[in-house]
Amino acid sequence: MSKTIKIDPVTRIEGHARILLDCDDAGKVTEANFCVNELRGFERILVGMEAVTMPQVTARICGVCPTAHHLVAAKALDNAAGVEPPPAAKLLREFMYMGHFIHSHSLSLFVLAGPDLVFGLDGNLATQNIVGMVEADPELSKKGLRLRSLGQKINETIGGRGIHPVTAVAGGISFSLSDGQFKRLQELTGEAVELVSELAGKTKTLLFKLLDNNPALLNQLNTESWYLGTVQGGKLNVYDGDLRPMDNCGTVQPEFAATAYKEMMSERAVKNSYAKEVYLNMNGGEQMYRVGPLARINVADAMETPLAQQEFAKFKNDFGTPCHNAVLQLYAKLIELVYCCEKANEIINNPALRGETRVPADFKGGRGIAHVEAPRGTLIHEYDIDERGIVRAANMIIATQQNTAAINRSLKEGANNLLVESGDETLLNGLEFVVRCYDPCLACSTHAIGRMALDVEITRQGQTIRRVRRK
Amino acid sequence: MSGDKVRLNTEWLCDCGGCHVAIVDLHEKILQVIENIEIQKCPVLTDVKDYPEADVGILTGSIRTEHDRHAALEMRKKCKTVIAFGTCAVYGGLHGAGLAHTSEEIMEYVYKTTPTTKTDFIPDSEITGLEHVVTPIDEVIDVDLYLPGCPPHAHYIFESLSALVEGRTPKAGQDTVCAGCKRTMRKTDVAEIVNSQDGIADNGVCFLSQGYICLGSVTLDRCLAPCPNHGIMCTGCAGPTMQILAEPNHDIRTEVSERMARLTKIDKATIINHMEKSAKTHYAYAMATKMIGNKPTFLIQQWIADVEAGK
Repeated sequence: MSKTIKIDPVTRIEGHARILLDCDDAGKVTEANFCVNELRGFERILVGMEAVTMPQVTARICGVCPTAHHLVAAKALDNAAGVEPPPAAKLLREFMYMGHFIHSHSLSLFVLAGPDLVFGLDGNLATQNIVGMVEADPELSKKGLRLRSLGQKINETIGGRGIHPVTAVAGGISFSLSDGQFKRLQELTGEAVELVSELAGKTKTLLFKLLDNNPALLNQLNTESWYLGTVQGGKLNVYDGDLRPMDNCGTVQPEFAATAYKEMMSERAVKNSYAKEVYLNMNGGEQMYRVGPLARINVADAMETPLAQQEFAKFKNDFGTPCHNAVLQLYAKLIELVYCCEKANEIINNPALRGETRVPADFKGGRGIAHVEAPRGTLIHEYDIDERGIVRAANMIIATQQNTAAINRSLKEGANNLLVESGDETLLNGLEFVVRCYDPCLACSTHAIGRMALDVEITRQGQTIRRVRRK
Repeated sequence: MSGDKVRLNTEWLCDCGGCHVAIVDLHEKILQVIENIEIQKCPVLTDVKDYPEADVGILTGSIRTEHDRHAALEMRKKCKTVIAFGTCAVYGGLHGAGLAHTSEEIMEYVYKTTPTTKTDFIPDSEITGLEHVVTPIDEVIDVDLYLPGCPPHAHYIFESLSALVEGRTPKAGQDTVCAGCKRTMRKTDVAEIVNSQDGIADNGVCFLSQGYICLGSVTLDRCLAPCPNHGIMCTGCAGPTMQILAEPNHDIRTEVSERMARLTKIDKATIINHMEKSAKTHYAYAMATKMIGNKPTFLIQQWIADVEAGK
């Protein structure tokens, strides 16, 4: 005898998903499934297209993290051609990416998770959104939105466009910055550093208030898992470096290059979701692991920039390594946001930015594999290219799908804590909050997006015994 | 909120979410818009899950599943004016290239062929099946206004939202991407098509003059031409011009080949043949619309099959 609970859809995440909970007789959740309900099938769509368009085409996989796909595709073409872009091009790509991270992390912290921070988990539904948040806390909201804008403007200035950028090509970047653009970027990054230092303290205070008000979150959202992130010389990096795994006890495992991903990773389809799960092939088995800001902070030894390093040290001091708590993903994201603002400001003042931006790159007949850290975690693209420059096979490992297994486990733990005591709204908001902590982006993981009315259904022996609808 | 504000619902169907981010990317101007608009349903911003009555409905994305179809119909019922927003909603968009394959073929590839997938089955419970093809929304509901673009530039979004607030028709020109391109078109002696991945083009001269295939001259400007002005050939992401859509015997390859043949010494048939071989690239954004798909000489399934068979 079992019950099934469905939550449909989860709002304020990017994409379309529902939650299914199976309960036993005692009401204990035995299985939780985060189900993703659309599929575009990009791996197949890309086959037969000109490889040269991959940086633009794959950006369209996700309007929320297009720059991650754009850059990893360009890097995969570099890899297929066997060329190294000139130093200025690498800096420009990384600079573009810092802009993108500032936009994405600000959107996630201030727009998507912001209402939970400002109103708590029992807030009034009607105002539990960014519009209500602007009224309740205009300073935080407006500064957060401004920071997001600055990031997107940096991305746009270097990428040609903010959403679906176009300038990263095999061999580098397709144009050089004008003096006017340099000046504009200087202003944008300067303001970003100023803003982020004002916002960091305030955001942290709100996060800790949320934790104080909901002690269960800290005690019970500690899903154990492995972690994977990118480091360069041990320091956190999102554009380039080696992949560093860490086991569930915090022991760092041997680093590997993205080109070895097929040996290191296994994808598994699940019956009730279009998103595949991914496991690390290590220690003689398939290990459940997580990617994203928390994973990156866990695996890194240090941060490259001073303010971010200060926060990083505090995080490590307070929460240890590895920190398994999904709620602290928000704190990890804040540290990265600080890092990206500082890093952008470092790059704009680097004289090497004014050099040659592109070398010829012939990738015909090649195979290219590359990775970046997308805002939500490790992203890998692989293309097999024929003698005419046409894609013959394509494969992608997407950030969100790597977290699916851990999301399911966290949901199960979260549901068991919330189910017995809570009213309907708290249950719904609570479980949605668990999912939002992972900040899944479903446009990416199944390359799809959509929605439907919220519907929670609890059944026993095929009969509905309780139904909660959010209208 | 005040009663005379324009009530807005937005909804996303099968898309990447970028069109919704594009609205947020009005940056400072969004405050001007919000003053006069009451945002009711909006998937990323609010927790409203049903469809309230609204004056304006923005629909992004195309129809891929039963859910998408249902959402489009609900939006039509509740919104006085419906905008098909973004290339996916208007023409099917990039995943419309999925039209070239059956949904079974896509599933087979994603779940059974990719090298890292260790399982050997296709998900089948608690999820909605894919419809056979990707459908632009106006094949399912009536649409009042079209705003293609991938995503549309903030300039066009702001103009259309302001017009709706002011109760006037949005200004939407019919210029092509060339109108905003700073390159110079000139006659050259180029005798062969240059593959888009070969060499680095001169940044002052029209791509077509140099032998590169660029879709700027056949693509509606809803972007302000960022690609050709940053060294990148136009890939047609805002969809074709009205001239191409309306004329049964014009399409992307006939128009580009005519113009390019006049600018270079390459003959028209060679260019057409070259573009058919890369049809999946050149028709990527618009192949799912019947306005392209139903043209008598448009044989994209055949062209793609030939390329995949190595012909």
